[in-house]
Amino acid sequence: MRAAGGLVQSNASVEPVMSRLDYEQNALHHSCLLVLLRGVGPSRARILQRAFEKVRRVNNIKVTDSSGTVRTVYFRFIHDHPVEHNDWGDFQTHRRLLGLITIGKFENQTELNELCRHHESLKVRYGSTLYESRAIFFGPDAHSTSNANPNAIGDAQPALQTIGENDANTDLTGKEKMAQIHGRLQDEFTTPSNFKSQAFFYREQDIGMDLEARVADFLNALFWVLESRRLERSREKADKVSLLLAPFEKRDFVGLDMESRNNRKRCVGRVMKNLADLSLQAGLLDDALSLYHNANETLRSVGDSLWVGACEEGLCAASAVLLYPQMRETETFHRNASLQETGSSPLRNMPEKWRTSDATKKINAPAVSTGTTTAASANYADAFNSHSSSCSSVSSILTNNSSSSGTPTTSTSSSSTSTISVAPHSQRNGELPGNIIKPEDITNYYRKAIINYSKYRHAATIETEAALKASRVCIEQNRPLDVAMFLQNILYINLSMSESDRVKRFEVITELYQQIGYQRKAAFFQRLAALKHVQQGTQTPDWTQSYRLMLGSFTGYLLSLDPLEVLENAAGWPALQIDLVQSLISAARRLGYSALATRHMTFLLQTQWDNMSAAEQSEMAVQLQNLSAQCEGSPVPLVLDNGTVIPPANLTDLPYLTQLAVRDLPAHLRPQRIKIAKADSGPFLFTPIHFNSVDRRDKKKDKSKIDFLWVQNDICEVCLTLRNPLPFELAVTDMRLLTNGVVFESLPQTVVLKPHVLTQVSLHGKPIETGQLDLQGYSTHTLGIKSNCRLKHMRGRYFPPNYVVDVIPALPSITIKTSLPQSASFSNMNSADLVVTSASLTLYNGESSSCIITIRNESNTLPVEHLEVNINSNVEQETQKKMFRIDEQALLAQLPVPPLSTIEFELLIYADADFVCPIPTDLINSFGPGASQEYGTSSLSQYSNVTGQSASLPLRVSSPQHRRQDNISVHSKVSGTQHLISTLPLHPDGPGASFNSGSNVHSAQNSQHVEAQLRFKYSGGQALVEGFCRQCAVSFNLELLPSTLITSWDVLPAEIPSQFYLVLDISNLTAQEMSLNYTDNKNILIEANESCRVPIPVDRCSLEQICDARAAEVAENLERELCFRTQILSFSDALSKLCSTHIADRVKINWLLTGTDIKGIASLRGIFLSHSMVNLTTIAPLQWGISFQDTVVQPHSELICTIGQSAKLTINLTNQSLHPLKNLVLTIKFYQDYLNGIENYNLETRVAISGPNRITIPILEKYEQSQHNCSVIFFTPGRFKASVECATRPQKSSSILTRSCPEAPNLSQLEKKSSSPANSNTISASGLDEHQAHIWKFIPPIEVTVVEP
Amino acid sequence: MAFCIAVIGKDNAPLYLATSDVERELDLQYHVHAALDVVEEKCLIGKGAPESKELYLGQLFSTENHKIYGFVTNSKIKFIVVIDSSNIALRENEVRAIFRNLHMLYTDAVCNPFYIPGEQLTFKKFDRAVQKLMSGNV
Repeated sequence: MRAAGGLVQSNASVEPVMSRLDYEQNALHHSCLLVLLRGVGPSRARILQRAFEKVRRVNNIKVTDSSGTVRTVYFRFIHDHPVEHNDWGDFQTHRRLLGLITIGKFENQTELNELCRHHESLKVRYGSTLYESRAIFFGPDAHSTSNANPNAIGDAQPALQTIGENDANTDLTGKEKMAQIHGRLQDEFTTPSNFKSQAFFYREQDIGMDLEARVADFLNALFWVLESRRLERSREKADKVSLLLAPFEKRDFVGLDMESRNNRKRCVGRVMKNLADLSLQAGLLDDALSLYHNANETLRSVGDSLWVGACEEGLCAASAVLLYPQMRETETFHRNASLQETGSSPLRNMPEKWRTSDATKKINAPAVSTGTTTAASANYADAFNSHSSSCSSVSSILTNNSSSSGTPTTSTSSSSTSTISVAPHSQRNGELPGNIIKPEDITNYYRKAIINYSKYRHAATIETEAALKASRVCIEQNRPLDVAMFLQNILYINLSMSESDRVKRFEVITELYQQIGYQRKAAFFQRLAALKHVQQGTQTPDWTQSYRLMLGSFTGYLLSLDPLEVLENAAGWPALQIDLVQSLISAARRLGYSALATRHMTFLLQTQWDNMSAAEQSEMAVQLQNLSAQCEGSPVPLVLDNGTVIPPANLTDLPYLTQLAVRDLPAHLRPQRIKIAKADSGPFLFTPIHFNSVDRRDKKKDKSKIDFLWVQNDICEVCLTLRNPLPFELAVTDMRLLTNGVVFESLPQTVVLKPHVLTQVSLHGKPIETGQLDLQGYSTHTLGIKSNCRLKHMRGRYFPPNYVVDVIPALPSITIKTSLPQSASFSNMNSADLVVTSASLTLYNGESSSCIITIRNESNTLPVEHLEVNINSNVEQETQKKMFRIDEQALLAQLPVPPLSTIEFELLIYADADFVCPIPTDLINSFGPGASQEYGTSSLSQYSNVTGQSASLPLRVSSPQHRRQDNISVHSKVSGTQHLISTLPLHPDGPGASFNSGSNVHSAQNSQHVEAQLRFKYSGGQALVEGFCRQCAVSFNLELLPSTLITSWDVLPAEIPSQFYLVLDISNLTAQEMSLNYTDNKNILIEANESCRVPIPVDRCSLEQICDARAAEVAENLERELCFRTQILSFSDALSKLCSTHIADRVKINWLLTGTDIKGIASLRGIFLSHSMVNLTTIAPLQWGISFQDTVVQPHSELICTIGQSAKLTINLTNQSLHPLKNLVLTIKFYQDYLNGIENYNLETRVAISGPNRITIPILEKYEQSQHNCSVIFFTPGRFKASVECATRPQKSSSILTRSCPEAPNLSQLEKKSSSPANSNTISASGLDEHQAHIWKFIPPIEVTVVEP
Repeated sequence: MAFCIAVIGKDNAPLYLATSDVERELDLQYHVHAALDVVEEKCLIGKGAPESKELYLGQLFSTENHKIYGFVTNSKIKFIVVIDSSNIALRENEVRAIFRNLHMLYTDAVCNPFYIPGEQLTFKKFDRAVQKLMSGNV
């Protein structure tokens, strides 16, 4: 855009260059009359503010000229005007200062004199151009002088008096009366004699309504002077005009021939241009336009570039006045703003408006402007009308023109050239003059003008101003690119200016860029301005301004003061943002605002963390540490002097939180529901099918809801996993939880984080109230910064915005002690975490002990009102009941437990165990009677000579059961006497194992561990009402040592039919001698690890019981058959069980370790009875009555008969059972017993029986008796025996169970002990399953000694 | 030849920036950033007639030391080239050529299947080529 050629160098020696740029100027100012509005005297700007505003408001007047046209004339009030600018008044007339208004305040005469002096000196200063001046003086309040009533003054109308030649107005008589009451100011104070100006006096508080009228009057006067000048100029003869010069041109024309044709044209052109300027100012726009056109042509022909430029600019100005009248209004805003610059706030000129869109701009600006204009003009009109009516006589020129305001009239003005068509404001759009420059051409004209100006170095100011004006017009036209072009051009203009002016230039450019919405450009220049303020070499670096401007350029770099917003947007150029914030920090530091510097540094770290390299991060962190050493940062908003709020910045990611876990209370303090609502889970615990996806989404959404509870006044915990991203150790102090909702007492925590290492930190706190607790994050104090790190601000880590925990009312807590020593090992039972203490105890099987448990209520206020005790263990429920017993009634009677007191109760412990070696039932069944017999025999016999026969055992036991083979074989490998006991198929005493005999055979007679938990549920206070309790447990570790073991057993008939002998092999498994008390009065001593055999008489099991058992079983079987068709329990099993319990109930073996007081009871529970044993233990259904030769046979009685003699044998069978017996076969057999194990049944030659020896009895009814008689003849002498047996023969019976008396020698000894007279019914069949064969024998066999006759 | 070549994304975030003078990088960044306003404005104007759209935006603005040229691809990726003002020998055609070459380089770089659009361009090959372009020996 710049002129291509070099500058036209004019005389550089004089520098009539305008010293200062008028950055505020716009195109419309060409049409304004310049008035200096100045406050004088001691600064009381605030007080006089209203006066200034009132004056300012009168910025235009409407004048009706001689031709009857109404012209609108505009005025521009400025605050300051360098005198040398007046020199450019010939070049552009609007640069000439025409009027002067001073406003001052005085208290006394001296001050008034001073004000007058000021006014006069200003008059002198601008005397060359000034047309007229006014002074407005505010005097002291009336009360300070005469009146004592200030209220009256407040209401009083302003007392106005003018001193001067022309207006002793008398129309304000009313007001004058008022004024007279208070005394007139000008009566009290007099202006000095050298004061020649017109002055208005006012009381301080009263700014008269007539002030505007006065000002308008004054402006009117100015206009008429101007108008007269214009007319003067227009009447000048073309050949007489002198050359008008721009200030710097004065020397250029020295010595030139002014009469040359060229120069004459130049003179004429310049005068024409000058006239155009005046016309423009006088409101004759059409005149001005055509004059500008003419002048332009004239001057161009002579190549007067500078003035051509001026003409072009003038054309633009005139067109702009017509096209964009609304620009005036924005202008008034600017004026006001510049006036208020006296304020000290550094951030005043924040970017006030964005160019939101073209439309809004276009719409808004007129709306605003019309609003203000109408107000202003209405105001003005009133004043004007009243005034004009009042003083109509004064100006004769004004009189005759009240009619023709609206209609455009044409009249030849005194100027020679043009017709004036006055276009009133409202109608301009309708009829714009034809020679107006079109909007799109304005830019071009400006461009041309600027190029023309640029040819002159001394016109740089003009050029710059032209560029600014051009850009303002372009803004109005909404052509941002052109604006950018013009603004860019300003930078090229080589203008020697002070640094402050340069800064000002940048700021103006910034402002204009902001107006077109070029935020980045604006920011660029704003930053440049900021840097200029504090440039190196500047004598007085202005850090305040610099800081203000930098802060202002934030928006351009997409930064916001609020770090969260910045993080949200994550836009902009990180490098620039970092640089900018760093500059800002240094500015703040220079200013001494350490708080701000710290805040900005925190901001930088928070927002730009991700954009910095690791080295930068640590460097910044160190810087922050240094800054915060001067002033700690805390998360509160900072407010600048001008009201800008700097929101808090937090080091959210320093340290970096990777995990946050809200911890439940420890298990023993965890609150639980006292009554657990029954979970209606149905039969399916898990289903992969989700019927409605809504359900699942709900679950996800409620991620923040914590599903456990915290307790009021209980310390609770949140666990954080933190990482220190800095390469040095980071000390974080005063970490606390941030919460909402209920009152929460947070306990501070301090950690030192190693670089790049994950560290676990627990934060604790105590909820003081009940209700919902909202965990929002935590606060830290690190690097000297206090930060609130909220979860919702942590990005990239999927934290819920908060965690919600329910807090329930306080619960008591208890501690528990036991009288037993604590156990070393911890239990591995379920819910081991409940355990608060433990106890261990070692007992021999069968031993009893007790334990005192002490419960102490630890809470200070709450009593324990509710206490529940239950026991859990790894043994069967039944066994457990036997092992642990508590007197719950006594315990409950001790409730409630007051705070800080204790209760005690006793727990009884019994070492329950199985003392009986198991005999696997399946084994016996499958082996049949023979096997069972053999087993019984062998086990006993084997045991009697323990040392030898261990090898025989595996053979017997292992064959049928592969499952057990492994176990057995393991043991069978172990040889040696000391293990013999364990290799026997003994009943393991493990409580749980007794029901699964097979697999546990191997479990040796080692100590057995029982773990139990004594669980307490307790509660109290409000929480109890709400149904919460706590649970804790005492873990018991019992070691059960083996004491005695019943390795094998058998049943023998006793001497009394109602009893039988239980023969037991009892071994002492302890390492001490044991005294065994097995009946009421019988004791036996067993050495350590020895065993002995004892017979115990036991009452038989009664038939009634059998029958009950059977009935129950039948019923059960029936049920099973109906329902499940599973295997029917065999009757004999039930029977066997019955007998077993029968025995267990009756037989208790007390043992005592001699020398100690350790004693216990061994029970026979779980003893297994084979079928034949069962027969012996029960009362037989058949009762035998046998008589030989009419003598009733007694057991072991001697029967004698002689050879050949027939002896009568009578057998009576009575069914004693409740059921009929069917298919009985009675067999009588004689044999000879050689007592060496051989029995000879072939006695055909020795004995004969008359009658059948096999009798079948089809049915024997209940209580029925059946008799059989036969005769026996012996042929040879000797000892004969007769076996009498009765068998049931089942229809499909295959196996016959026989049970003969064991005949091993050792047993026979026992047999002798048993005096068995009544056991004729050795064979007892009780119950009679038709499908099973029973044999009842008459035991012992009848012995007959046959003698020679 | 060129002071600085910058590739700027759709959302005006810098994708790549190379300067011949590392010390002045920040300053140049400021200039490039400021140039974006004009680029946006020009894009806005060009919106009306897509078929006649010229990718080359011409000189955006110039300062005492730099001339700044702009270019915008059809996918709104902006290329900014900063050129020394004192280098009068450089013709506009050459600037156009630089942009054409840069556009090709960019297209090649973006064709990399491992590049996610919108990310910073960190390819060494691209960087080398741009450096070469900047020094003027293509």
